[in-house]
Amino acid sequence: MKIIFTFLLVILLVFSGYHLSFRKFRIPLFARKFYLTGLEFLFLGLLLGPNFLNILDVETLQALSPVTALVLGWIGMLFGFQFEIPNLRRFPGVYFLAAFIESAVTLVIVFSGVYLCLPLVFDISGAMRMVASITVAAAAACTAQTGLALIPTAKNNASQSIIKILRYFSSTDGLVAMLALTPVYVLSLRNADIVDRRLMFGGDDILITLILFTAILTLYSLFLSQRREESELALIIIGMVIFISGFSWVMDFSPLLANFFVGMCLVNLTSEKEKIFNTLVSIEKPVYLLLLIFLGSGWQLHHISGFAAAGAYFAFRFLGKMAGGFSVSRMGGKMGTLPSGLGLGLMGQGGLPLAILYDFYQSMAFDFSGEIIGIALIAIIFSDITSPVLVGRLLRKEG
Amino acid sequence: MVQKTTDRHHLLTYILILVFISLLGLWVKGMDIETSRQQAGLIIFSLGFVMLSAYAMAQIVNWATLPLISGYILAGIIAGPFVSGFLTIEMVGRLSLIDDLALGFIALMAGGELRLSLISLRARSIILSLVFITVAVTGLVVATILGMGNFFDVTAQFDFEDLLIFAILAGLICVTLSPASAIAVIRECGAKGPFTGMTLAVIIVLDVLIITLFTVTMSLSKILITGGHLLQMTEISGLIFEILISLIIGVVVGQAIAVYMKRIRRDLLMFLLFVAFAVARLSMGFNHWMEAQFDISLHLEPLLICMTAGFFVQNFSRFGADLLESLEKMAFPIYALFFSVAGASLDFDSLILCWPLAILLVTVRMAGLMGGSWLAGVISADPVAFNRNAWLTYVPQAGVSIGLAQIATRQFPEIGIHLNTLVLGIIAINQIVGPITYKLALNNVGESVKR
Repeated sequence: MKIIFTFLLVILLVFSGYHLSFRKFRIPLFARKFYLTGLEFLFLGLLLGPNFLNILDVETLQALSPVTALVLGWIGMLFGFQFEIPNLRRFPGVYFLAAFIESAVTLVIVFSGVYLCLPLVFDISGAMRMVASITVAAAAACTAQTGLALIPTAKNNASQSIIKILRYFSSTDGLVAMLALTPVYVLSLRNADIVDRRLMFGGDDILITLILFTAILTLYSLFLSQRREESELALIIIGMVIFISGFSWVMDFSPLLANFFVGMCLVNLTSEKEKIFNTLVSIEKPVYLLLLIFLGSGWQLHHISGFAAAGAYFAFRFLGKMAGGFSVSRMGGKMGTLPSGLGLGLMGQGGLPLAILYDFYQSMAFDFSGEIIGIALIAIIFSDITSPVLVGRLLRKEG
Repeated sequence: MVQKTTDRHHLLTYILILVFISLLGLWVKGMDIETSRQQAGLIIFSLGFVMLSAYAMAQIVNWATLPLISGYILAGIIAGPFVSGFLTIEMVGRLSLIDDLALGFIALMAGGELRLSLISLRARSIILSLVFITVAVTGLVVATILGMGNFFDVTAQFDFEDLLIFAILAGLICVTLSPASAIAVIRECGAKGPFTGMTLAVIIVLDVLIITLFTVTMSLSKILITGGHLLQMTEISGLIFEILISLIIGVVVGQAIAVYMKRIRRDLLMFLLFVAFAVARLSMGFNHWMEAQFDISLHLEPLLICMTAGFFVQNFSRFGADLLESLEKMAFPIYALFFSVAGASLDFDSLILCWPLAILLVTVRMAGLMGGSWLAGVISADPVAFNRNAWLTYVPQAGVSIGLAQIATRQFPEIGIHLNTLVLGIIAINQIVGPITYKLALNNVGESVKR
């Protein structure tokens, strides 16, 4: 069985290589969507991981932990850079509120569904059940622009306005996920012992955290106090991201979240933000692909029932996004002109949810972490493949 | 990556950064580390700590016109197990895979810097340098150890036979150089020209040559010790096979990189990262497999494979410049990481144990390098400035010598253990002094864009 799977994966990767090498080679439409998201790298990770070739074995993955910390921190920081206040102000405040509502509605619906159904799939309870449900719900709340990238340029005003809204939502609605995850990591779970739950941030801890956060920002500003060349800046940012990520792990916190908050502050406080952003973007793709490979290597799915669970997760998210879109369209004012099926345009999930899931996998040593990730990954792949079709349908409806 | 010298104005900022990072580091070190995740976090934190402090330290030493890598190494030494103990020996060990990745990148860069056109112009000089440096350094080191061995604790205990083997092996190890240090200083100075090309070629080829000579010597030494058995040809042929296979794989990898750059181009950095990782892992895996299955100790050299690949792309495809440009983007982080970890790995315990002999051999080695390269230059009618300065570029010493000393330890445990200690002591000195002399040589010859 393993050999057959390996063989199939090799075929897939050869196909990927062929596709990459010969761009004019016409591939089926669904496959084009698949390649746009780089999801083939998930399968590369699966092939290299302990399930098959074992090149990325457990020991190697441990030795590569600085790289995984860098990957998570990098994505967190990049996402933090989306929240530049002057940039956000270019859009009416109601856009931000709408993105927040749409995402929060999705989060609540997915959380409720997953929380109720999780015990049907796994022998899971208590805090573990809560943490896993919040994490996958947070991942579901995020939206990516994957679908938008594949549709032709909109010609009429209605479509253009929808695309503008969808783009805005997909850049900002991850904030809800980050805010929802913060308490999960604040109520940190030490060891794998769920009973040993502790309130990590008591009064003193909050003060210490604020001091540390200020210290890190001061360190950044010292590094950025003079003009840097591109590769120097790369060293500083890589070093700082690793530094903060390591700090987060020592403090039982999430590197994704820590770097997100640092990124959010930096983009609003430093004059070097353009240069930092360019550096972050310059290796965004390799970082994202590495994330996919790491995630793929830890992919576990031991039961066929996992596919049904993935289907349920997809359905909850679909329901959540539709309800979120519907709520937004009922807000009135500028949002009142939006179609009630806006949720169809919000199905792409993209990179941030993958980072959230990988962060969870790295941080929470649950028995079922790998399987939960496996289920969520199947749903994400399905979401990313179907999202262009759904966006297309939404825009066609609007003429 | 040509670096401007640090202004006096900014010196204070870097000192402040170091103080700040150190305080944060001390605070984290003082925490109770309970879980495995926290332990992993501490290693990651330490890596970030070392990279940032290495950068700040490099800017500080750059103010004194020293090369940046001296700063990286110094930061590593200070953070390492023998000074502050911030990085423990175990932590340094756990960073070895990241270190291998960095070395793969540097090796690709080193190979990419070797231009066949420049080498062929100086072929005579390069070949003569290889021969004379090997003979001069080995000869002087052997003579010194045989002549003065009785005065040092490390060697006084050996009988003549053991002392002779010890001397020859030490002599050959002293010839090894450091391509990684060379390429880092060259890139930092933006150095280009016949002198840079010639010395880099000597540095790279000499390492391969010494690995071969070392294995032959070990076989001969075994005959000496075991009393006249036939020369074990399997070891020598195995070694030649190993080098040939490494070169062939290097060409294949180089061709793969060239094809990728021609056909795909996008995500090149990611691809190169994958190549460096795959070469490091597969070499290791293949070596283990050969040993387990066929009892053949074949050691594919990831360094040699990557250097050959870089050389191939530079000289047999039209993508050499693109490859270097792509690698350049990550040069700063890679150097800071690699050399600060190298600094933390320097074994000062060994240096303390054998410092008188180590200092003597460092001096003798320099004399051999000076004499050998000068003679080669004079015979080849190289410019006087080249002849006077070439030896300065050969002073840095690293990785390969440690590997050779470890092989010797396995083969001859009694003398090997002392040899290992001595070599680590010598490397500790040469790795600190070497980059400084290298930069000096490039400045003296006038091939350094930025002094």
